[in-house]
Amino acid sequence: MNQHSLHYPSYFPSYFSINDILATNERVPCKFEKAAYGVGYLDPSSGSKDLEAGTKLELPCWLARALYSRRRIVSCQLPKTFKERYREILKAEASLVDLHMFSPHFYEFGQHLLPLAGPEAPILGTLLVETLRERLRSIMDTSLNSLEDEASSHTTKLDELERSLFRTGRKTFHDHRLWLSRRAHIVTTSPMVEQHNKRKFSEIS
Amino acid sequence: MLGEKALELIKELDRSKDGQLPTFNEDSIRMVLEEMTTLFEQNQRDVNATVAGDVRFFSGVHLRHAALERNKRCLLAYLYNRLERIKAMRWEFGSILPAEIRANICEPEVQWFSRYNKNLAAYMRSLGEGTGLDLTQDTKPPKNLYVEVRCLKDYGEFEIEEGDIVVLQKNTTHYLPMSHCQHLIRQGILEHVE
Amino acid sequence: MSDTEEDVIEGSDDEGEAMTASEVLKKLEEAWITERMSPTLECHQSELVDCMLDQINQMTENLKRCKKHDFRLAIHKMEIDRIRYVISSYLRVRLEKIERFSHYLLEKEANMTDETMAALSPHEVAYAKDYAANLESHFQTLVLQHVPENLRTFDSAKMSIKPNLDSYIFFKVKQETPGVLIEDDTGEGRDEELDLQEGSQHLMRYKPISHLLHSGAVTLI
Repeated sequence: MNQHSLHYPSYFPSYFSINDILATNERVPCKFEKAAYGVGYLDPSSGSKDLEAGTKLELPCWLARALYSRRRIVSCQLPKTFKERYREILKAEASLVDLHMFSPHFYEFGQHLLPLAGPEAPILGTLLVETLRERLRSIMDTSLNSLEDEASSHTTKLDELERSLFRTGRKTFHDHRLWLSRRAHIVTTSPMVEQHNKRKFSEIS
Repeated sequence: MLGEKALELIKELDRSKDGQLPTFNEDSIRMVLEEMTTLFEQNQRDVNATVAGDVRFFSGVHLRHAALERNKRCLLAYLYNRLERIKAMRWEFGSILPAEIRANICEPEVQWFSRYNKNLAAYMRSLGEGTGLDLTQDTKPPKNLYVEVRCLKDYGEFEIEEGDIVVLQKNTTHYLPMSHCQHLIRQGILEHVE
Repeated sequence: MSDTEEDVIEGSDDEGEAMTASEVLKKLEEAWITERMSPTLECHQSELVDCMLDQINQMTENLKRCKKHDFRLAIHKMEIDRIRYVISSYLRVRLEKIERFSHYLLEKEANMTDETMAALSPHEVAYAKDYAANLESHFQTLVLQHVPENLRTFDSAKMSIKPNLDSYIFFKVKQETPGVLIEDDTGEGRDEELDLQEGSQHLMRYKPISHLLHSGAVTLI
């Protein structure tokens, strides 16, 4: 439906959420605590039919969690961007960091890591909250105050959740400005139709 | 890695973010379904061994089961998000989709769409104790009764109210009642002149 | 024509008292704003909607009898357009949530004990059912019937989309409400009790105040 009619109050991933599926695909360093028979192809370097206990592999988060939660088939480590050294960088200068480079789904991936983090879970939890808190003001600021071409240079350093906050901020600001200038009522060609027409035109020419 | 093909479907949708609809990727879906069948067959075999008392197979069985669930999730999410986009188009283009878009959707999606339209039409007819209300209209708060519009395309005769007819020719301008012409503006036939 | 505003019409408020058209419109506008801001679907107001639609249909009929250049015509038409916009926008927002949360809402509906708390109107129930069935049958056709047998179900508990009742919302207090319990959701036992003063505005999680929304003590802004 008209996706612009609702202001979704908050980000809340579901079973069908594209971002959640992408976030749960990020890799987690794992070690097999038990042998797994017949799935040796997961580790092409071994050339064996089975995975021996002690094999170290990077697994996608969804698989790591499934194997960890049942009988601890694997044990997990935090990916390096969530470990001590990187946590220190975030603590020191959260607002300067290129978070998208840390992980394109930093916050969401971070949340999925919590059950795997063991004793480090509370530290990780605090880190996620504090990082967002540190960075939020400047995200809000730039989303409301930068020009269109500047905006893109800001967003490259944001993770996906921050980008969606940024976009929401911009849209709200834009709508508000239209309203102030008494232009909110102007009916325009629907963006989808416009895009469609453009494409059609470019195909002809 | 397991579930890789299924993830490609999701990435495909993620890449075309602005509501566009890529061609229905039947081939990839078939490949994912094949991967699932293989995983399932291997599991059937190993489950039998596990039941027979050999617990060494448990980890592998569990791993493959997780991959099966993951593949299922990706496939359903692929279908779901496509339907969301098709649905958005219903509200933008109306109940008849442009041919180029229809070319990108598969037969079951066509059927879903037509049932969606029927359901929506029945609901809109039921409003106001049966008098009906078209919810695809009135998308912006009204400011003026009449608006000045310019024709972007030849459209032909157009009835406004009580039998008044205007001829909408490309590049002509008109002063028309907002309530009657907004859908033509949304469809890019008229342009609201400020 | 100008007296329609004062016409007393069959009301639908709690006591079953008669309301004027402008009172109905005011209630409807409030329901509209609340619906736009709420993370979940609020109780349906189909009596208000039907009543207002009936009003604008009557007004439209009456206008046909007016002279074409009567200057009041324009004003009344404007008013009709405005009311129709409020109703459509309200129903569109509801429809969007009904589609998104169809399974969740239907399950809630099935377990409902109190008619007056119904989120869905009968027509909306029919719409939600067909929508959910259409979605499931689409899944069946393209995927579920082709996957291994132990994966063929659409498990609504796991897959259906649910509203985030922990969303933060702005609200305004209409009736003084002392002693509202705000539970600490982190489980650290920092529960709080709050006195809500009439006219005050707050930013809070939706869940602890949802019952006040239904009783009409607060309204979303």
